[in-house]
Amino acid sequence: MRNMRWLIASSILALMAAAQLLAHHSFAAEFDGNKRITLKGTVTKVDWRNPHIYVYLKVKDDRGGVIEWACEGGPPNVLLREGWTRNSVKEGDEVTIEGAVAKDGSKRCNSRSVNLADGRKVFAGSSEDSAGSSK
Amino acid sequence: MRKLALRNLAVTAALTLGIAGLAAIPAPAQWLKYPTKGTPRGPDGKADLTAPAPRRPDGKPDLTGVWIGVTKYMIDIAADLKENEVPFQPWAAEEFKRRRATESKDDPSARCLPLSLPLKQTITSPFKMIDIAAKEEMVMLYEGARHREIFMDGRPLPKDPEPSWYGYSVGKWDGDDLVIDSNGFNGKGWLDINGHPTTEELHVTERYHRIDFGHMSLEITIDDPKAYTRPWKVRESPRLLPDTELLEAVCENNQDLEHMVGK
Repeated sequence: MRNMRWLIASSILALMAAAQLLAHHSFAAEFDGNKRITLKGTVTKVDWRNPHIYVYLKVKDDRGGVIEWACEGGPPNVLLREGWTRNSVKEGDEVTIEGAVAKDGSKRCNSRSVNLADGRKVFAGSSEDSAGSSK
Repeated sequence: MRKLALRNLAVTAALTLGIAGLAAIPAPAQWLKYPTKGTPRGPDGKADLTAPAPRRPDGKPDLTGVWIGVTKYMIDIAADLKENEVPFQPWAAEEFKRRRATESKDDPSARCLPLSLPLKQTITSPFKMIDIAAKEEMVMLYEGARHREIFMDGRPLPKDPEPSWYGYSVGKWDGDDLVIDSNGFNGKGWLDINGHPTTEELHVTERYHRIDFGHMSLEITIDDPKAYTRPWKVRESPRLLPDTELLEAVCENNQDLEHMVGK
């Protein structure tokens, strides 16, 4: 039996969408799989770059302030093969992102799901299959 | 006059159709989807991935194609082994423990450094094999990593190689199996994201067997006497990605690095 940490890490990974499984770096070095967050906000930028895309969004807090969050997604090529493009989410879109929070306390998350206001899922969770599945 | 009006109508219709047609073309993405010539297909036009493996004119299997590995080996090359089955040298066991304890924060690929062998073959980013039989060479291309040349002309591996990330590779046929031997690594690469270590003594043997059109078995032997007390094997099962090509993936903007705190 492998150590417990590996088991926990692999369970978390198993829960993640295919795109996140293909991270080019350790998820656990940066994000806390046990500390989850749901962010509802307005997209300010989609940074479509390797090794991972980032969705930036403005989220209103309880006191009427606005907090900027940056949420990591999959590698662009994985997303392209899942059917998404750089235009699947645009500046100004209202999105709900569910993900894991950065360990260092910065306003960053690793997105497990990204939903548009009309309920469409984008960038993640489109397929349980791994990268490059032909559709 | 009527003729002219008709012609105008025809031109307008053609232009409209043309523009509509252009709009229907998907965003250009380096041939994300394009039918690959010579692909066996079912009645629905989809690639028949269980059709027989294609063969070269000399009867050897033709391994040419875009292939992709299995996720679990990218994360843990020893995924199918029990913990005590990895024959670590004591220092390598300590180093692996350290890398796990810090959640792989020192992973070279997180710094956009190259993926070494066998991670290049196990990462779930496609690789393309091109068999250039006439030149006695196999070429492997990758999306985010440098190519590999596998020389099939009978040359031996270098005896005192200049250490490098990707090493030196020679290949030969063993029946229907392609066997690739590689050495000359720099010891900086990790075998997987979990952090199984390597040294300059690493010697990797890859044995490819194309089972059918869409499936291969890949047996990887890790022989690194400085890090492991004996050679050990991993069995991968790459699958073919039909009707697509490699896409560029330049590691240009890793924003995670400064936030990778480990524990």
